[in-house]
Amino acid sequence: MPDNEHSPHDDMDKKALVIDDLTVAYDSKPAIWDVDLELPEGVLMAIVGPNGAGKSTLIKAALKLIPRSAGTVRFYGLPYEKARSFVGYVPQRGSVDWDFPTTVIDVVMMGLYGRLGWFRRPGRRERELGMYALEQVELADFAGRQISQLSGGQQQRTFLARALVQDARVYFMDEPFAAVDAVTERAIVAILRELRARGKTVVVVHHDLQTVAEYFDWVTLLNVEIVASGPVATTFTPDNLRQTYGGRVSFLQDGAAALATGD
Amino acid sequence: MFQLEQWFIQFLLYFVSPEAVNSFLRDPRHTAIIIGTLIAVSGALLGSFLLLRGMALTSDAISHTVLLGIVVAFLVLLAVQGQAPDLSSPWLILGAAAAGVATVILTEALHRSGLVKQDAALGLAFPLLFALAVILIARKVENVHLDVDAVMMGEIGLAWANSNSHCLENCESVSITPDDPRAQINRQCTNCRTLGISPRDEGAQFADICTNCGVYSPGQAWQAGLIATQPVLLFWPKSITVLALITLLTIGFVGLFYKELKLSTFDPALAAALGFRPALLNYALMVVVSLVVVGAFDAVGSILVIAFFIIPPAAAYLLTDRLSWMLLLSAVIGAVGVYFGYDLARGRFLWLEMGGLLAGLNRLFGLGLSEQWNSSISASMVLMIFFLFLVAWVFSPRYGLVSTLVRRAAQRRHFADQVVMGHIYHHQGQVAEHEELIILTLHHHFRWSPRKMARVLARLRSSYLVRFEKGLVLLTPQGEARVHRFRQTQLGRNGQSMAQNLP
Repeated sequence: MPDNEHSPHDDMDKKALVIDDLTVAYDSKPAIWDVDLELPEGVLMAIVGPNGAGKSTLIKAALKLIPRSAGTVRFYGLPYEKARSFVGYVPQRGSVDWDFPTTVIDVVMMGLYGRLGWFRRPGRRERELGMYALEQVELADFAGRQISQLSGGQQQRTFLARALVQDARVYFMDEPFAAVDAVTERAIVAILRELRARGKTVVVVHHDLQTVAEYFDWVTLLNVEIVASGPVATTFTPDNLRQTYGGRVSFLQDGAAALATGD
Repeated sequence: MFQLEQWFIQFLLYFVSPEAVNSFLRDPRHTAIIIGTLIAVSGALLGSFLLLRGMALTSDAISHTVLLGIVVAFLVLLAVQGQAPDLSSPWLILGAAAAGVATVILTEALHRSGLVKQDAALGLAFPLLFALAVILIARKVENVHLDVDAVMMGEIGLAWANSNSHCLENCESVSITPDDPRAQINRQCTNCRTLGISPRDEGAQFADICTNCGVYSPGQAWQAGLIATQPVLLFWPKSITVLALITLLTIGFVGLFYKELKLSTFDPALAAALGFRPALLNYALMVVVSLVVVGAFDAVGSILVIAFFIIPPAAAYLLTDRLSWMLLLSAVIGAVGVYFGYDLARGRFLWLEMGGLLAGLNRLFGLGLSEQWNSSISASMVLMIFFLFLVAWVFSPRYGLVSTLVRRAAQRRHFADQVVMGHIYHHQGQVAEHEELIILTLHHHFRWSPRKMARVLARLRSSYLVRFEKGLVLLTPQGEARVHRFRQTQLGRNGQSMAQNLP
């Protein structure tokens, strides 16, 4: 793994993400319960689990988008407030109004707003960075389009480009594969691998058990509590899946099949 | 406020003569249009963001609840100062801003309780605060100029009557005492009342008193003949200063936080993740909205002010795909509506005389309508802005009603063409060709009317995509190429299954 951005002297720092005892409760019912998680640098991790397992909640709580009831989250040893500049976030596509009067390149440049800080406006440099990111997701020709004139997959890739320009070290993506076409799915996978090759760490909320083994090298099985977390080869086992999904056999068979083809 | 006004006027006088300013502002039309434009511009800038945030009705709620802030601040000042405060006091404006924020906080608290939905929360919060304000007004400040009617409707036409006069030259004020040579002296009987003596009585005693002592402002002094040179006075409607300040503040706020407002409106989650405090920005936005609403109170009242916030952005939204253009366009639309709205109130719709129209109607139908057209200025401005919205709604190049209909019709035609060509493509050269492709019966296969099929075939034939041969309709080579292209680009990987569904 290329590692020229920080010194590897401290083993603690090599952990891209450390979550300790994280609990989030809506009203009195816990959405996630006492989650402990450690993630080394440079891996692609899927968070999988049944509906209502708290997958998105885990991401949002890590980024302090919703209040945590208890627990700490550290990115390379730093709390979120100090890690903002190197943590990227791709929200669910449906979380924004795509009729908003703005263009593709504008949306991509929003990824740079954090680096610009208050008051400073994006300029030519930001536009160039945005165009470069759009080329990576093969949307350069669409830069000037209004965002509602994109297909669902193109919208997802726009969001991805926005995360790319952030040039973060740790990425969180909330269901990037939801309802996208095959072209976009391949594009996203290519980008994920590219990110991993550059030493980035990516956490993806994922819903398709079939592709876990193919796309990811690390997996967290979540059902309010963490069932298991670790490398796919040792963690993505039928036994763990059964624990995560309860008696839903069809999922188990799919998962087992995916495991077989993935290995 | 007076001091500020003077600075502003000094600045203005670098560019225009005081006579020009005076004669311009003395026309109520100009004053009303300036005030309306200021409201329209600041309303449009803020309203664009409210509209995009799905908070259009929040401005309506705030325009009512600021009344509570004003009344509470009024009562506090009354208690502290012991006298009724000036209605343009900055404290009242601050009270209004606080009420605006309180509305939003209360709404969110109700919503977050999980027991009421967002719109219902708004509907709960704002009548509560408004009702409190109305009760306070009725119970406490009945004899003060703060009645509910004035608050609801406003009267922009009166703005020019409420002016400060600023003196520019020969500004000596004159104070007259009995010793002053200019003092006019009357003799007055000093003992008539107490002793029952009338001034004509012998024993009446007289004192000299000054009939015109006191302080005269330059204008009064000149009119009273106390000074020889006429002062140069400038009459300046008070609301212009307040509204100009508020508009500058609005422009400054939107200009300074444009990027942040844009991001937190489009994607609040990312804004929060990047550390831009969207909640704080939201409250700041509400403060500025409250200020504009208060500033607009006298002029348009609390009911119509929402029109200045929402209609121009709604029109601009249909005309552009860029947020910056939307802000600019909505400001322009608001201003244009204000300009022509004033004339509408005075009986002119754009360049049409309404009086003449009414007279014509009277003559034709004997309706007996009053031919005097004189109506509420603010309401007419709103009508005019709405008219502009209507124009955008119907004629917007991309999203307007007309272009949508035209586009849909074109799509329907295009699809009909493709369906017919697809059908021919499938049956051409097959055994069933002679049943499936007969020109005169082709429409049966589609359950179309013969006329529709005739139109489609005529269109295809005139663009050389099909040819007629022995009573059959067949594809030309161009037509076949067109079908191939359509199948590749439109049907994609579902091509097979869709092709099976074709007739």
